[in-house]
Amino acid sequence: MRILIMEDDVSAAEAMARGLVEAGHEPTHAPDGEEGLKQARAGDFDVLVVDRMMPKMDGLTAVEALRREGDATPVLFLSALGEVEDRVTGLKAGGDDYLVKPYAFSELIARVEALSRRRETGAVSTTLKVGDLCMDLIARTVHRGAAEIDLQPREFQLLEFLMRHAGQSVTRTMLLEKVWEYHFDPQTNVIDVHISRLRGKIDKSFDHPMLSTVRGAGYRLDP
Amino acid sequence: MKLPVLLRTTPFRLTLLFLALFTGAAALFLGYIYVATAGEVTTRADSEVGREIASLRTVFAQGGGSALNGALIERASGDRPFLYLLSDPQGKPVTGNIAATPVEPSTAEAHASFRVSETDPDGAVTRRQAWGRQVKLADGELLFVGVDIGAQRGFVVRIVRALWGAGVLIVLLGLAGGVLVSRNVTRQMASLRTVVTAVESGDLHVRAPVRGVGDEFDELAMGLNVMLDRVERLMGGLRHAGDAIAHDLRSPLTRMRARLEVALIEVEAGKADPLQALESTLADADSVLRTFNAVLAISRLQAAGQLTNALEFDLSELAGGMTELYEPLCEDKGLAFDAQFAPHLIIRGDREFVAQALSNLLDNAVKYTPPGGAIMLRTRRRSSGEAEVSVTDTGPGVPEADRVRVVQRFVRLENSRSQPGSGLGLSLVSAVAEAHGGRLDLDEGPGAAPDGTGPGLRTALSFPAV
Repeated sequence: MRILIMEDDVSAAEAMARGLVEAGHEPTHAPDGEEGLKQARAGDFDVLVVDRMMPKMDGLTAVEALRREGDATPVLFLSALGEVEDRVTGLKAGGDDYLVKPYAFSELIARVEALSRRRETGAVSTTLKVGDLCMDLIARTVHRGAAEIDLQPREFQLLEFLMRHAGQSVTRTMLLEKVWEYHFDPQTNVIDVHISRLRGKIDKSFDHPMLSTVRGAGYRLDP
Repeated sequence: MKLPVLLRTTPFRLTLLFLALFTGAAALFLGYIYVATAGEVTTRADSEVGREIASLRTVFAQGGGSALNGALIERASGDRPFLYLLSDPQGKPVTGNIAATPVEPSTAEAHASFRVSETDPDGAVTRRQAWGRQVKLADGELLFVGVDIGAQRGFVVRIVRALWGAGVLIVLLGLAGGVLVSRNVTRQMASLRTVVTAVESGDLHVRAPVRGVGDEFDELAMGLNVMLDRVERLMGGLRHAGDAIAHDLRSPLTRMRARLEVALIEVEAGKADPLQALESTLADADSVLRTFNAVLAISRLQAAGQLTNALEFDLSELAGGMTELYEPLCEDKGLAFDAQFAPHLIIRGDREFVAQALSNLLDNAVKYTPPGGAIMLRTRRRSSGEAEVSVTDTGPGVPEADRVRVVQRFVRLENSRSQPGSGLGLSLVSAVAEAHGGRLDLDEGPGAAPDGTGPGLRTALSFPAV
């Protein structure tokens, strides 16, 4: 996946690029907003990782410019500004996700990959299928093979998110944000309990476990 | 050329403006008085002269030229105030007590304002104002009758002179008043300007003097002082936040650095697994980040003084969401979870911060309550109108003596050291409460149980009524 990093902190960008290469991606670095905008216009990127505060042109302006030109490449904003309204302005300017500095690299990777996936599955479908797991979004039912799995509403949402990001790591923070819509960091791992309940329902009586824990990152649903 | 400071002040300019207006008005007034009084004097003299002429005409009509001549001689020597001159048709004087007429000798029906000289017994000559009229008699002779109006005119002149004097006095007084007022205003402005200059150069402790008169200057000074109080408080808050962040992060960073150093030595000596060292360092870094985020959140809440993102929302609904999030965790840990919510409990605040605070309270309850215990989440409307959300557990509780202390940053009680945590949870909750104008109360829970657990802890977060 081709990723453009717009970040004025060169050493942070280098570390990020190395990590992304390690994860099998193809990162490019732009040290300021103007350069970043130029590269984003020229190259075909899958995801843009944009620092909000940069010299010459800040991230918001650059992304707004791209959006005005009809460029819909997914954007992940990085920012030291973590207030609710900062996040809201970021998303309004055309960002797709918002990550507050300092962040864990695993969080960044997971979010970047989640964004690229979002672009691929642009078409609206009423069923999700991962391996022998099948979710009907209209009837709100889940089957694994022939067996129907009974889920609570929140478990259903959780599984839907995991299925939409099958094969990718999703972090606990992402789940808390996207499934529960809370933007804070709980000290105990409340999410783990919900995951283990879900796991009990979709994996327990089957030979092949699909929902695994990724150390230091979060969880991943595989076919 | 620059005017002296005093003369450039606004009050002084206003004084000058008013003075100019006043002088103009006074000049008009003076002019009017002069015209009115002087005119009156002339009118009266003219009517007196008219009456005398009429009486002389009667004499002429009855007795002819000689009778008139006699009357003139008689009247001129009498104590009448009139001046007479009878001239022949060519203008040559015939009889009278003045030498010549001040009007064209040949003209009939003319009047004139003129001056007469009078020689006093001691020889001094005084010239006095007079008014007279000349008429042509039936036989062509010209009769001039005048009257001495020197005394009356002198009176008018004195009035005008007095008015001029008064005008000059008023202008002088006005100027002096203007200077005084400007000096006064300038002095007060200067005291305010001193404050502004001091603030400009970074001194936030100065305050404008309030004289207690309650005038506009006092109001301005008080407004300025209130503003400075607020600015100073905010600046203090920010500085405090900065100091606190530096202080709060120093210890976890020092700890991390020490562990890294030790790990480096151990790995070099082959005594430790590098991978493991890296992993534990990563965990350390994560904990520093968590601490950092918590400290930042607390500092922001404390520095802002008020919420920037306040909205009205239902506290019970939020608590319901939290229940849904935490109930499975409690169940897994063997804790009974009970929720009781008052319907429609609207508060005004930052939803995310309140959620974070509630999550911290629940985290603590889950962490410290031994299996078999219970946690109760409850919202209610107090009789005072405040909205309250409380978390009650059956854990060991916090001794009364420690309840104030545990809310402070990084304070962890002895028996909590075995549990993970930053020691910032309750501080954050307390900061959230304060930022909302509410408070955090810690109380004893349901009391000691027969099995030795308890007495439990009840943490309650209250918000002011909307």
